[in-house]
Amino acid sequence: MLLAATALGFVYSAALQKGVFGPSLSPPKARSASSPLAPVMIPLDTARAYFSAGDAFFIDTRHEFEYRLGHIRGAINIPLTEYGAKKDILDTFPKDKLIVVYCDGTECNSSIEFSAKLSADGFTNVRIFFGGWREWEVAHLPTEGSGR
Amino acid sequence: MKSLLSNDYLVLLTRIFVGLMFVVVSIEKIVEPAAFAQSIANYNIFSFPVSLVLATIVPWLELVCGLCILFGLFLRGSSLLLSGMVAVFTIAVLSALARGLDITCGCFTQDPTVGKIGGARVIQNLSLLALSLYLYFSTSDRFSVDGHLRAKALQR
Repeated sequence: MLLAATALGFVYSAALQKGVFGPSLSPPKARSASSPLAPVMIPLDTARAYFSAGDAFFIDTRHEFEYRLGHIRGAINIPLTEYGAKKDILDTFPKDKLIVVYCDGTECNSSIEFSAKLSADGFTNVRIFFGGWREWEVAHLPTEGSGR
Repeated sequence: MKSLLSNDYLVLLTRIFVGLMFVVVSIEKIVEPAAFAQSIANYNIFSFPVSLVLATIVPWLELVCGLCILFGLFLRGSSLLLSGMVAVFTIAVLSALARGLDITCGCFTQDPTVGKIGGARVIQNLSLLALSLYLYFSTSDRFSVDGHLRAKALQR
């Protein structure tokens, strides 16, 4: 039974390019000649610079209740699982708009998977702030939310 | 106790309830493995890649075991596997509660706003564990594929 379930799971995932065969296990690639528009990771300093310049959309991919507790000031909340449902919001963004995606921190990967979806949908200027909410909060940068 | 374990109708009802429940809850996890992987990763026990592998296998195991329990095929093996999974998951929930994690369970739905972990979730899991163990120790094979196969083998 265990073998059957394992085989079914892997065959299904491979066939539909989901799970372990989905985009989330592929680390975000640095810009290169072969993939010039792939999302790139940015450190806290770069995220802060984008925030200060005010020329980037910040997207928080965590659960809604976590977002309500606290998030980067001005960030909008689109959890990974609601990517399809909230696509109309994303469609209002110009495709070359600078978008910074983040989640909880280095222990979550939803920002990577989310940015892969954005790239697949034609967004050409996507950044992943991998330090995420935890790093931003620890650095005492501007936040908003109801607090814990 | 012995009569409970051999009660054909009680075993059948429990099989239908447990089997159907696992079949139903496995579907959303199978359709959205990444969301389920995120739910597992939120427990901060496994890294995301490991969670993704678990999210690829566990829902199918739930589906296969659920179907087996529903039809009464390999009943002891499938109920033991499900008991093991529920036990491990209950321990994970207790561990998350002990660490003060504010996360959703990821058990029945991947909707991040539904099913936060808590005492109710632990009681729910323990009830499910009791039902799975009841099926493991049950002695009735009436209305089951196992029973049908055994009767056929005896006729030969």
